[in-house]
Formats: sequence, structure tokens, C-alpha cells
Amino acid sequence: MSSSRAQGGAAKTAGQPAADAGAGQRVTGHEVLIGIAVAETSNVALLGQEEVTGARIAERLLNEDDGVNGRRLRLLFQDTGGDEIGAINAFQNVINAGVLGIVGPTLSQQAFAADTRADAAGVPVLGPSNTAKGIPQIGKFVARVSAGVDVVAPLAVEQALKLNPAIKRVAVAYAQNDAFSSSETKIFQATVKKKGLDLALVQRFQTSDTDFTSQVTNIVGSRPQLVVVSGLAADGGNLVRQLRELGYKGLVIGGNGLNTTNVLPVCGRFCDGILIAQAYSPAVDNPINKRFVAAYSQQTGGGQPPQFTAQTFTGVQVFVEALRRLDKTSRLETMDLKTLRSELNNAVLAGTYETPLGTIAFDPEGEIKQEKFYVAQIKMDRGGKDGRFVLIN
Amino acid sequence: MRLLFQKLLNGVAIGSVYALFALGYTVVFSILRVINFAHGAIFTVGAYITYALTGAAFGKNGQLRNASLPLELNFWLALALGALGAGVLGVLVERLAFKPLRERGSDPLLTLVSSLGVAIATVNILQYLFGAENYSFGETLGSMRASVTLVGGELPVVIRTKQIVIFAVSMVMVVGLTLLINRTRTGKGLRAVAEDLTTARLLGIDTDRLIRLSFFISGVLGGIAGALIGLAGSFNHQFGVAIGLKGLAVIVLGGLGDIPGAVVGGLVIGVAEAFVPAEYNAYKDAVPFVVLLVVLLVRPSGLLGRAQVQKV
Repeated sequence: MSSSRAQGGAAKTAGQPAADAGAGQRVTGHEVLIGIAVAETSNVALLGQEEVTGARIAERLLNEDDGVNGRRLRLLFQDTGGDEIGAINAFQNVINAGVLGIVGPTLSQQAFAADTRADAAGVPVLGPSNTAKGIPQIGKFVARVSAGVDVVAPLAVEQALKLNPAIKRVAVAYAQNDAFSSSETKIFQATVKKKGLDLALVQRFQTSDTDFTSQVTNIVGSRPQLVVVSGLAADGGNLVRQLRELGYKGLVIGGNGLNTTNVLPVCGRFCDGILIAQAYSPAVDNPINKRFVAAYSQQTGGGQPPQFTAQTFTGVQVFVEALRRLDKTSRLETMDLKTLRSELNNAVLAGTYETPLGTIAFDPEGEIKQEKFYVAQIKMDRGGKDGRFVLIN
Repeated sequence: MRLLFQKLLNGVAIGSVYALFALGYTVVFSILRVINFAHGAIFTVGAYITYALTGAAFGKNGQLRNASLPLELNFWLALALGALGAGVLGVLVERLAFKPLRERGSDPLLTLVSSLGVAIATVNILQYLFGAENYSFGETLGSMRASVTLVGGELPVVIRTKQIVIFAVSMVMVVGLTLLINRTRTGKGLRAVAEDLTTARLLGIDTDRLIRLSFFISGVLGGIAGALIGLAGSFNHQFGVAIGLKGLAVIVLGGLGDIPGAVVGGLVIGVAEAFVPAEYNAYKDAVPFVVLLVVLLVRPSGLLGRAQVQKV
């Protein structure tokens, strides 16, 4: 394994000016360094661990494919933890270590804090899981491979209405301490109103909550035919489970935070039937996705890759393919680091990529242009211990 | 009225979770007059051991990827063994974080830091071995219904069966602990150690054994609490961290070292939280500490605590 960790204490680098970091360094010709700054610890470590898995698979497969035109791809991992300060420190560390680009951070709220540092330093960033509004607008060096919630979320509501055209009353619950969930719920609520449905109740919770009895009894009391949950796997899954245990029988839509097989152990048999709009499906029929799914299964001992794993893989893949193209027009070793980072950013935005997410490109601001999105429904097995996401659109 | 009753019920349900957690804190505090900050970690380990003993597999992100034990115990048997395992861990924590400092006559406050160190190390070891995945016990209550309707009608008043189980176990534990401490020879010894460690030792009481026993009991209680609270929802490596601070508020509110006080404190905080309006949910975690502040202003020794007599 050629990946490594950035050296130096986080506190030492926090707050240092970043604008000229690495301006005089050059690519030496043997390896190309990309930073992976995601939440490997904290209460969102699960998401970060999924992302690390995606990055490691990308590193292995892309190096098997000759790396960056013969140069070895090396990933530099740095833990951001789950907060903004940790993300800023991690970004600063990998920038100072001379990475050409950064895939990260995990959370949108971390991106709003840390991406500005990378942008000021002229280091291209690809957000693997930052789906809140306004991420690509942070700066010209910031792009994302995670489609915005405004694109993905409405699809699930449309699918719910197809499954049950009699839906009139909708209840919404969201994790108010999570920037992504707060952003996503606005889209869901706007979609509900746009479809002429009655938004009967809005309930708030926190990602650290484990007991949702209050919210659930309020929801059940409002007699909805559809409940939309925006949260993360643990809290969202527990809410769905308690919703079912307290007698709710209607349809449930899970937001993007629930788009992971990690939600299955949380709500068990009660996960059955949850509708989830997805930016990634393991069923995407192209060679790179088939190879990625096989590599994931081999690396983890079976199972299907979660969305964040696929998106992080895609982030690394986009950087590598952009570098390969750039190298063909102008050899990487001829540019100083500052110029190379800037040219890489231009190359990323100019390309079209065949990825596990399908065919993707970027608009001039760095927003992903993705051809296809999916709506899946969770189908649990008879024992309620395992399940899968079945495409229904 | 129904809404009020439902909220009260919700509060009692979550309050009994807090009480169950806080009982373990209370046992150690009542003997050594120090807080064992590793209790949250022991609580978490109890859930993990119980989970492993049911034969369930761990996730893909840790070093023990997809690992499972070659046995599949019934949940309640696994719970009992998991609690014993947590009890042993409690004794280990005492050996590592408390005994060396006590023997050197260090300030008891130092054990706060050493036990916090053990807690952080344990949480990180759990993540390293088992990943950050969430785990749950699935269907363990057999043919019992998932919820019980107390008042029927269009707006029913309901409670989850698992919450009733947690409440019942909390009550059984309080009674059991009270009997152990007040009616047995071991309890008398524990009370003597709590009263004055040095005098108890001079009287020939094996104080080290009783201190180990208190950590064992605290660990067993923590293990049972971890598995049962995990049963009601899900758990991961950080499971005990979130509830740890509330557990502290509960024991201070109820009266430090007072066993029925831990239950009363838990229920008061649970009910107070349940009455926070949904739109102010973000501030819900502040409620225990506001309640605590108000109570301490009126009763500095807590709701059921007795004022400490200063010996001179």
C-alpha cells in the first residue's frame, strides 16, 4: 500500500497563510500526490471510513492502469474529524505536504469552512459527499462529484406519488444540527408544496439522538401518508424503526444520508420499503462501475459499495484522468506546483468522465453534471438482518 | 390531556434510560467519592460483547472485518455474559486508572483524568477493531408486540415495548442494589468503605476487594444498560460518549452517590426533555443542565442527597 499520512501536528499548521504553499515545488516524475481529507474519526466516522475505502480502491485500480502516465498515484490521508476546525487543519496539512488536489471533506458544513483555505491556496478540491447548496460557489478551485440535493431529492417524492397516488398529507423530520440535512429538507418541503400536498408537520431532531418517541408520536398523531426523513444512517434509521414500532404504516422517504447499507442494521426489518433517491447505484452498467463493484466486494468480503465510497472513488478518478490529459499537452514536470494545481483545476472542469456514477462532467462553477439519478427501495430479507437497494425507476 | 400523558410517558421512557446508565456511576461514586469517566466506555463494551455473543457479524470498516463468533446465544443469555464481561472490564479499569493512583496517595481528582484516558482509548480501540458502523440487536423480544397502546382512539397513547423493558429493568436494579447494600454483609462492608476507607481498613475489612467489587458491580450495571439501551435503538463505538454527560447531570441532580436519587434524577431530566417543544429541539441537550442548575440553587446536595457533614 503506497498511501500515507500527512506529517505534522494539526495545531501547528492551523491558521497559517496558505496562498503561497508549495509555490516553488515541482512534480519529480515518480509519483503524483493527491490528498484525501475526510472524517476518519468522530461521530461521522462511518461516512469517512466509507470514503477511505473508495479512495483506496481508486488508488489500487488506477495504479494498475499505469497511474498518471507511468507515475505512481499516491494518496495522502488526513483525518478531518467531524468538525470544521479539524477539516481546516487537515486541509492545511495536505496542502503544505504538496498535494496537487484534495478529495474531501466529508460534511458540507466542513466544506464551507475548509474549502475556502484550499481555494485561497489555489488547490483544487473535489467534494465527495458535500451536497448542500452553495458548495461549488465557494470558489473557483472548488467542485464536487456529489450531486446537489435539489436535483436528487424531488425524484423520491415523485416515485412515492407513483406508488401511492392517494398521498395527501406529508410529515417531514430532519436533523437540524446537520447542514446537509437542513439543506435537504428545504428541498423536500418545497417539492411537497409544489406537488400540491399538505405539509402537515415538520419535526426536528439531532444526529446524536437515539430516542425519537416525542417526534414519532407527533408524526403519527398528524396522520400522514408519507414521512420524509433527512438525517444520517444512525439517527435516520432509528427514527424509521421507532416510527414503525409505534404503528406508522405509510410510505417513508429517506434522504441521501440514509443512502448507505449501514442503515440496514439500524432499522432492521423496519427498513423494508424505504424509498431513497440515489446519486449512485451499484447497478450502473458500465465497465468502470463493474470493476469498482468487484474490487469493493473483494476488499470488504462481499456486499455492495455505498454511495460515498463510489463518489470518493470518482473524485480520485477525475483527478487522475485530468492529470493524464494535462500531461499529454504539457508535461507535469515542466510546471511549478502553483501552476500545475491551477492547470489541473482547469483540466478537471473541462473533462468528461466515465465513472461508477455514470457519465459526468462539470459546469464552469464546478457543479457536477450527472446524466442519471436513481430511486431505490429497500428490500429486507425474511429475517430482517440484511437487505438491498432495489432500483424502481 | 392525551398529549400531556403521551409526553409524560415519553419522558419516563427516556428518563429510565438515563437512570439505568447513571446507576453504574453512582455505585463507584458512593464508595470512592470519585467519578469513573470510563463508565461510558464500559457501557459501550457491554453492548459490543452482548452483540458478539448473539453470533452477529461485525462490519466491513474495522480490522476484524465481517468477524463473528462461532456461537449464537439467546439475547438474554448473551446479555448476562456481556454484563459479566463488562464487570471484568470495570475491575480492569480500577486496576489501571484508579488503584495505582490511590496507592500513591494521589489527589482523587487525578483519577478523573486517568479514567477519561481509559475511556478515550477504549472508544478508539473499538473503532479500530470493529469500525464505526452502527449495530443493532434485531428482533429479540420474540412474539411480543413492538408497542403497547395504553389509550386507544384516533390519537392513541402508545409506548414501545422495549422502553417498558428498560423501565422495568431499571426498577429491578434499584431494588436489587438497595437490598445488596442495606441487607447483606457485603453491603455493610461497602458502606463502611464509603464511610471511611482508612478506618474500614484498620477494622480488618479488605477494602481493596470491596473497591474491586464496586467496580465490578458498576461494570455489570453498565454492561446491562449498554445492551438494553442498544436494544432499544442502535449503538456504535461512540455510544457511551453522548449519554455520559447526561449521566453526570443525572447523578448530581439526584444526589451524588444516592441510588434512588439516580432514578429520580433520570426521570426528572427525561420528562423535562420530553416537554421541550419540537421547534426548540436543538436546545434539548441544555435542558438537563438548566434543571440541574435550578435544583442545585435550591438543594445543593441534589434531590435526594444528604448534606455532607464536614469532619474536623
